[in-house]
Parts: sequence; C-alpha cells; structure tokens
Amino acid sequence: MENNVLVSLKDVKKSVGSKEIIKGLSFDIHGGEVFGFLGPNGAGKTTTIRMMVGLMSLSSGEITIKGKNIKTQYKEAIANVGAIVENPEMYKFLTGYQNLLHFSRMVKGVSKQRIKEVVALVGLTDRIHEKVKRYSLGMRQRLGIAQALLHSPSVLILDEPTNGLDPAGIREIREYLRDLARKEGIAVIVSSHLLSEMELMCDRIAIIQKGELIGLQATREFVQGAGTKKVRFVVDQPQAAEKAARHHLKEGEIGTGDDYIEMIVEREDIPEITATLVVEGVRIYSIVAETQTLEEKFLEVTGGESVV
Amino acid sequence: MSNFWGLIRNENMKIYRKPGTFVMMGILVALVLITAFLFKNIVDETVTGNWKQKLQTENVQLQKEIKKEAKSNPGIVKYNTEKIEINKYRIKHNYQPIRSVADYLQKSTSMVSIIVILTLIVAGGSVAGEFSAGTIKMLLIRPSSRTMILLSKFIAVILFAIVLLLLNFVASFIIGGLVYGFEGASQPILEYVNGHVETMNVFGEIWKQYGYGCIELIIMATFAFMLSVMFRNSSLAIAASIILSMSGSIIMSFISKYSWSKYVLFANTDLTMYTAGRTPLVKGMTLNFSIAVLLVYFIVFTVLTVVVFKKRDVAA
Ligand SMILES: Nc1ncnc2c1ncn2[C@@H]1O[C@H](COP(=O)(O)OP(=O)(O)OP(=O)(O)O)[C@@H](O)[C@H]1O
Ligand SMILES: [Mg+2]
Repeated sequence: MENNVLVSLKDVKKSVGSKEIIKGLSFDIHGGEVFGFLGPNGAGKTTTIRMMVGLMSLSSGEITIKGKNIKTQYKEAIANVGAIVENPEMYKFLTGYQNLLHFSRMVKGVSKQRIKEVVALVGLTDRIHEKVKRYSLGMRQRLGIAQALLHSPSVLILDEPTNGLDPAGIREIREYLRDLARKEGIAVIVSSHLLSEMELMCDRIAIIQKGELIGLQATREFVQGAGTKKVRFVVDQPQAAEKAARHHLKEGEIGTGDDYIEMIVEREDIPEITATLVVEGVRIYSIVAETQTLEEKFLEVTGGESVV
Repeated sequence: MSNFWGLIRNENMKIYRKPGTFVMMGILVALVLITAFLFKNIVDETVTGNWKQKLQTENVQLQKEIKKEAKSNPGIVKYNTEKIEINKYRIKHNYQPIRSVADYLQKSTSMVSIIVILTLIVAGGSVAGEFSAGTIKMLLIRPSSRTMILLSKFIAVILFAIVLLLLNFVASFIIGGLVYGFEGASQPILEYVNGHVETMNVFGEIWKQYGYGCIELIIMATFAFMLSVMFRNSSLAIAASIILSMSGSIIMSFISKYSWSKYVLFANTDLTMYTAGRTPLVKGMTLNFSIAVLLVYFIVFTVLTVVVFKKRDVAA
C-alpha cells in the first residue's frame, strides 16, 4: 500500500489577501483507502479540496495526482479525478440525464451504457429524465455522485457526500465507496460533519483545524486510542476495591457507585489493577473499558471549538 | 479536437434547452410582425395607375417648395432635390415606385440592435450564469483548459447570434412578403449619392447590412464576456452590458463634437453608418478606420477576459 500513493500534498499553503487559510498541509493518500477529512466549520476542508481539483491556485507547496502536478500538468492530473466540491450544483433547466451527458462529453470514453450503469448505481433510474429543478436535495446529491463516478476515476473526492441523503442512502453510498476502494483500488477522499459516519466509512482520518493538520491516524487507532481510557469495574465491595486500586493510581479520581468503581487509567494498567483487586478478595463481575467515540475524540482534539 | 466539438455541443445544449431562448426568438418574430404593419401604415410610396404623370406633378410641387423655403429651410431644399432627381430617374428608366418585400427587408436590418440585446443576454447567461448557479466548478474540474471552455462558449454565442440574424431575415421575408407582396422585389434601390442617382442591388445592400451586423454582434459579445468574467454574476453582467450598449449612442451624441471620440468603442460599433445615404458619426471616420478600432478593442477585451478567467480562483 505504501508505494501506491495516488494523491500527495506537500506543504500546501493558501493565503487570501493577508489571511493564511491553509498553513502547510502535507499528507499522502493511497489507492484502496477511504480517507476522511475532518474539521470544524471553516477549518479549510473545502479550500483544500478546491486546490486539489485546480479551482484555486496554491500559494505555495505542491499537489500531485498519480504523479502529475495539478498546476503544471493539469489536464493529465484532473483526468483521474471525479469530484463534488461543496454542493453538487447541476444545470437545473436540464434533466438529470442531460446533465450526465453534458459531463460525459468532457472526458474520454464514457458510453451511453456507462451512463446508464452509473444512474442505476445511484438509484436514479426512474427519475433521471426529469428536470433537476424538480429533484429533492438527496436526489441532487445522488446525481452529483453519479457525475463524479462517470469516467471511472482513480481518485474520488467528495465534499460532504452524505449531505441530504436519507439513512438508507447514506448506508448505500458508504458501502459503495468502501467497495470502490477495496475492489477497484481507487482512493476515496471524503469530508464530512457526520463524525459517526466517518468512523464507519474511513480507513484513515485527518483532522484539520484553522488550516493546520492536527491529527492523522488510522480510524481504529483513533477510536481505541493507545492512550488512556475510562474503565469501570463492577464489584461486590466498592469501598475495598477503591482502597486496593489507590495503590496503583498515583493521581486522578476514582468514582464509586453502589456496585462499581470507575477510573481513568492507561491501557497497560488494566491487567495489574484487576490482579490486585482479585488478590484483595474483591469479586469482579465485569470490566468495561469505554472506548471513546470519534466524536468525543474529535471534540477533545479540537478543544471543543465548533467554529474557528 | 473531438473533445472541443463536445464542448460546443454542450454549450449549444445549454442555450437551446433554456426556455428563455425560445421566448427571445418569439419576441424577435413578434417585433418583425408589428413593425411590418406599422411601417405599412406610416409610409406607403407605392404609386399606381399613370404613375409617370403623378411623379411629374409631384416634382412640380417639390420645386415650388424649394423656391418658397430656399432661405429659411435648407434641409427641405436638400431633401426635395434628392427626391426630384430620383423621380426623374424613375421616369427615365421606367422604375415604378412599388413598395415590396425588398423595402421591408432593408428596414428590418435595423432589428440588429434588438438582436444585439438578445445576444448580450445569452452571452451573460453563458459565462456569468455558470458562476451565479455554481455550476462553474463542475465545468472546470474536467480535462479541458479554461481557455477552451471560454472559446466554446464564445463560438456557441456567436452561432446563436447568427441563428437570430437568419431568423430575422426569414421572418422579415415571409411576413414582409405577405404584407407588401413579392412583386417589384428585384427592382434596384435608388440612392442619391454625390450629386447623382445610383442604382443598387437590394439584396447586395441587405447582405452588407447583415455582415455589418455580424461584426457588431461579435464585438458586443466579446464585451459581454469580459463583463461576465469580471462580475461573475449574470444579472449584473447582463444589465451592465445592455445599459452600456444602449447608452452608447446617447453618450456619443454628447461627445461626437470632439475628434478623439472616434476612438470610443460605441462610435464604431454601428457600421451601417457607412452605407449610402448616411454620414459617419464623427467627421473623418472611414469604414477601414472603424474596423481597425474594433479590432484593437476585440484583442484587448479578449486578452483581458482570458487572463482574468485563467487566473481567478473559483470560490463560487
Ligand atoms: N474566497 C475566500 N476568501 C477569503 N476567505 C475564504 C475564502 N474561502 C474560504 N475562506 C475562509 O477560509 C476558511 C476555510 O474555509 P473552508 O470553506 O475551506 O472551510 P470548511 O472546512 O470547508 O468548512 P465547512 O465545514 O463549513 O464546510 C474559512 O475561514 C473561510 O472564511
Ligand atoms: Mg466545506
């Protein structure tokens, strides 16, 4: 996987006027992975995506797609990309089909058959010959995904792709995107506000805030975390258990309840605390290590600020 | 190149799938219809029966007017002299004055100013409309250069203008023919030029006027493209280009007394001022001069438009 870099950002910066909105982003995205782009409102997700697809110029740094520089070899680079930037605005006075026909004429080798396939894939077959102005938000989103998939790109960039979709639609798209990455080996880049969504969909997640990358990890590591977690021991004598656990815990609170004690500990400490409790004669009925959800992690990392 | 053909097809599709486009064509045809009837009621120069006798009587009348008004009204003198000479020519060469479809076709070339406005609307919609609707980012994230996308739009808009010119011609021919009849259409037109009467082929004149119209449309479309790329908002771009083009002649009437005003764009857009019987806006202007000036404007507009369109970040 390491040698299959499809998208590469090297110290990408963007200033508008005197304000620096992207302050040096560097990361690689590989074929076969779903890459999540997470950040609070105004963090710079859309701006970064705009630069990746050549809608905005870079103030400094470099973006390459399949080894082609987006600035100097634009046509070659962008031929590999399918994208939705912010909302998928389509021509409202045309039908969904005419919109797809329009975009198919701008790339090489999209047959009528392929258009039909993609339409079926996003579940618009029944409504594709209706004018887009009569589409619902979710139908527009589906059409947007269809135009991004039309030419079978090897890099798919979707800015908030589940925006407006119903739960069934979200699931369909999620599964389809995962499949695309697994089976076709394409790189899928998504940004989203639905953090739980990202957790289910992405292999790796980059968190950006105020135009800076503040975390980049595999989703699994992110969620489980190598660090501390809250553990609850359900026991018969909470008082005795608390006293025993104190030996191990230099600092921090130990919460007690009618039938449990609770504490924040390092992952590695859990077996030893358990052993001590057993030695002290405390009967343990269950041990629950609360995994942090991505949402909590996200709020923790970004300091809970919602808007920059 | 097949890709470029696709771009032009796309732009055509977007122009002709908009309901407004056919409304515009309908308006044009309606205007042709209305003016055909108005024009018939205002002046009808057809003379029937013993027309040579009638023209002679008219000439005597005109001669009397000249004598009476010679001092007070030099305009009448000039007008009547021309009329008398043309009447004499008709009698001598046996050209009966018949109002026919040819006259109306000639009049309806002034419809070019309406076509300019319709073209400005379509041009503004084609470029600035993509920004207003946000579709510009969908359009630009494809393997076509921004210059080619702009060029395909320009070609589609010029094709649209040509369609309107053809529509105007065909509608004028049919409606004019029904209102005035086709009889006498092949008669030459008579113009009084430099002290003598000249005959001109009607259709030659009409085609010349349509040709001039084409040049005006191209430069105005270029102008609209420039405003569209600068403003990136269709209503603003369309309004600005229409207001500027309509107020052009008013502005010219104020500044035409200065010789530098001949370099102003709007002094040169209406090339029909070089057709027989009309005088250029500013003294000393010639057809070649105007074409040279328009060419310079065309190049400047095009370069500005392309440079701005290529450089600008798209944040729509
Ligand atoms: N054209 C622009 N000119 C000036 N500042 C801009 C421009 N576009 C975006 N910004 C600023 O850049 C920052 C990042 O915006 P961006 O749209 O990339 O955020 P985002 O992460 O996509 O947010 P959201 O989650 O709300 O979509 C914001 O502070 C925004 O105000
Ligand atoms: Mg955004």
